[in-house]
Amino acid sequence: MTMPAILKIEQISKSYGAVKAVSDVSLELQRGEILGLIGPNGSGKSTFFDCVTGLGTPDHGRVQLDGTDITGWPLNRIAREGRMLRSFQKTVVFSALDVEENLVIAGQMFAFDSTRATFGIGTETAAIVEELRIRARELIKLTGLWDVRHMPAGKLSGGQQKLIQFASMLMPKPKVILLDEPMAGINPKLIEQVVEAIRYANTQLGISFLIIEHNIDVVTSLCQRVIVLDQGQMLAQGTPQEIVINPLVREAYLGG
Amino acid sequence: MSQLQETQQTWRSGLRLPAIILMAGLVLFAPAFVGSYSLHAVVIAMIFLLPALGLNLLVGYTGLLSLAQGAFFGVGAYASALLSIHFNTPFYVNVVSAGLISGALALPLGIPALRLRATSFVMCTLGFIVIGQAISKNWISLTRGDMGLSSVPKPYFALGPWSFSVVSTAAYYYLALAVAGLAILAFYLIVRSPAGRNMIAIRENETLAEAVGIPTWTYKLIVFVLSAIFAGVGGSLYVHYLTVVSPLTFQMYYTTTILIIVLGGGVGTISGVVFGSILFVALSEFLRVAPEIRMIAYGICLLLIVFKFPKGFAPVIDKVWSALGGQRA
Amino acid sequence: MLNLLGEQLLNGIVTGSVYAIVAVGMTMTFGVLRVINFAHGEYFMVGTFASWFVIEKFDLGYPQSVVFAVALTALLAIVVGYFLMRKMVGAPFENGVLATLGVSLILQNLAVALFGGSYKFFNGGYIEPVELFGYGLAQQRILIVIVCVLVFIGLDLMVTYSRMGKSMRAVSQNIECCEIVGIDVQSVVLWTFVIGASLAGLSGVLTAPVNVSVYGGMGELITFKTLPIIIMGGLGNVRGTLIAAMILGIAESFVAGFIGLQFRDSVGFVTLILMLMWRPHGLFSLQSRF
Repeated sequence: MTMPAILKIEQISKSYGAVKAVSDVSLELQRGEILGLIGPNGSGKSTFFDCVTGLGTPDHGRVQLDGTDITGWPLNRIAREGRMLRSFQKTVVFSALDVEENLVIAGQMFAFDSTRATFGIGTETAAIVEELRIRARELIKLTGLWDVRHMPAGKLSGGQQKLIQFASMLMPKPKVILLDEPMAGINPKLIEQVVEAIRYANTQLGISFLIIEHNIDVVTSLCQRVIVLDQGQMLAQGTPQEIVINPLVREAYLGG
Repeated sequence: MSQLQETQQTWRSGLRLPAIILMAGLVLFAPAFVGSYSLHAVVIAMIFLLPALGLNLLVGYTGLLSLAQGAFFGVGAYASALLSIHFNTPFYVNVVSAGLISGALALPLGIPALRLRATSFVMCTLGFIVIGQAISKNWISLTRGDMGLSSVPKPYFALGPWSFSVVSTAAYYYLALAVAGLAILAFYLIVRSPAGRNMIAIRENETLAEAVGIPTWTYKLIVFVLSAIFAGVGGSLYVHYLTVVSPLTFQMYYTTTILIIVLGGGVGTISGVVFGSILFVALSEFLRVAPEIRMIAYGICLLLIVFKFPKGFAPVIDKVWSALGGQRA
Repeated sequence: MLNLLGEQLLNGIVTGSVYAIVAVGMTMTFGVLRVINFAHGEYFMVGTFASWFVIEKFDLGYPQSVVFAVALTALLAIVVGYFLMRKMVGAPFENGVLATLGVSLILQNLAVALFGGSYKFFNGGYIEPVELFGYGLAQQRILIVIVCVLVFIGLDLMVTYSRMGKSMRAVSQNIECCEIVGIDVQSVVLWTFVIGASLAGLSGVLTAPVNVSVYGGMGELITFKTLPIIIMGGLGNVRGTLIAAMILGIAESFVAGFIGLQFRDSVGFVTLILMLMWRPHGLFSLQSRF
């Protein structure tokens, strides 16, 4: 018996004026899978991500998350109710706040059952926040940020900010995480650390991943399956080994 | 930490408690040894503290620059004045209604306005003041137009057969102190709650806040309404103190004063706003500075804030405070 | 009825011309600086005050007072532009709002502090009526419309053909590129601002004979009316601003004539809020600036 896919994307299209950024892209992310999404610059990967996560609305197509149709939901609702989190290509953190506070904020909307409840100040609220803080510290240890946990996040290096962002996304115990170029602009030493964190989250916490990444070594070592986008369309899919030797893919990268 | 530093630290922490007690004593017994004019200056400052706290919630915590605060202050003043003139309601009814009416008005105004960003939002909030001005001038049957409402009753309290009015400046001082104290407490509870942390998240990075599940628009609307409630309460306190209100309340003068208290005092802190209202309102009221000179000074302060002191003038007291061994707020 | 309609239309065109001359300066400044200048109306006020002052105290003729007023406004704009506006290139929008608000407070209240808060009577200009299309119209009003037409022709020529105008267009389209190409962005901002502020001063002194009264707070009202115009025209769009100014001028005139004078000044802000809600890019939705 096969479990249904956790994330099912059907024929997403998005145009900007006359330019078709994404046309008819469908994919299924299986439970527990790490799926890679690659393609040359301008192939529509980020637009596709935005359409799936509610930062943009697709012109056509449907997105189903764990059996629920989430097409047209705004970003915050997909995160809060769908427990599908995303990262950004340009690393973003709450710069003025320290690392621990960054993580506590990331967990808040999942720990309280409504916006109204967040206005509480009683012992019950304090207990929930304390639990969040404990969880935040665990994740800080896991991502190796313990020594800088009281530093303002904006003062840390790009790689450390990536780790903060990643740890933040683990706070709400998500079902799916979409990573937009997690390795871009971080130093090679940290790459291994991020790869390990992703693998840990995948195997130990059971989170499924959809990853946009240019670093082919990372893709090969992490992903079970890879999808290639080119000019807004799906060009190929298969195991990393198949993709690497696919002549169409080589042409798209080298000839484009 | 060296032994010497540690001793110094304890010695200084020793000074902190007496400082608090001294300040509390000063505040509580001020009417006993302060002249009635100085007391008047402090009352005015405490009244302005309310809309300033509201604006601090918007600018300092959520990162929304609004000029509408003067408009909601005026709405609160008119609402409170009309209630007490027509229905002779006790003070606590007026003050609560003024807050609620301002808040209720902020809701339909905030819904479209908060879809706008940056300068467009600022222009739109400026529009609310102008509209307030136009309505207060032209809805003559209600507001008596340019003449305004005069002889607004002084606040009175009624509990069963027992009632009393607040007439003297000293009595009003305690009334304003109580309201301002409650407002500070409310403000503290709001910003210390998880919601306060979410507001800061919105200020720091709206897209990231969305990405971690915070419904940013809902929070912005709630904060806009809360800020209007603070302003409305302040307006009520103001009108019962001066006993007159006219369309002049919707002039830029009020909005600018509120703005300068928050920005000059230091955004995002309680002490900054308290400091700002003392510096910009109590002091200029006390020195009997003419309104136009005061406005010129505010203008210069705005330029200084933009080009020299982006954190306002509060870091000065912050330094004094930490010199006394306190933690940075 | 038709007579009244025509009269209101003419009045509207005159008012629209005044607004157009003021608003075009604000929209150009926004084009190069991305700052809404909340002090823009104050330069209108300064122009009026300067002219009133030299006529009253030095018995100067109206034409000379116009020259003096525009020169003084330009000088003031050079000072403000050099020390403040120029430094706001690339700054966060809050800085622009707060700094221009500060300038507005200083100028407006300086006028009150120096000359008192009361209304002053402006005595000058060409107020004899002449007959035009069967309507009596003060000469000054005709002058305003003519100047407005000349200003816009001049600006159009400048933006299209002069070096300065081309730099202005370039800066309004892409600041980063200009810096690479070697255009001095700060000086373009400075001179655009000076031209804009001087035009506001010119508009002020031209309107004074028609408005008659002079007071410190007059600039604020002008700023408030300029905002809806520049939004309607599409921020940074010179021709759009002319049309938008005419629309507002005529609309105000009709509201004043057929509904009630007290509602005239509300037209602008109702328009502003409606525009912000439904057409934030302006009526003409042109992406091109200038």
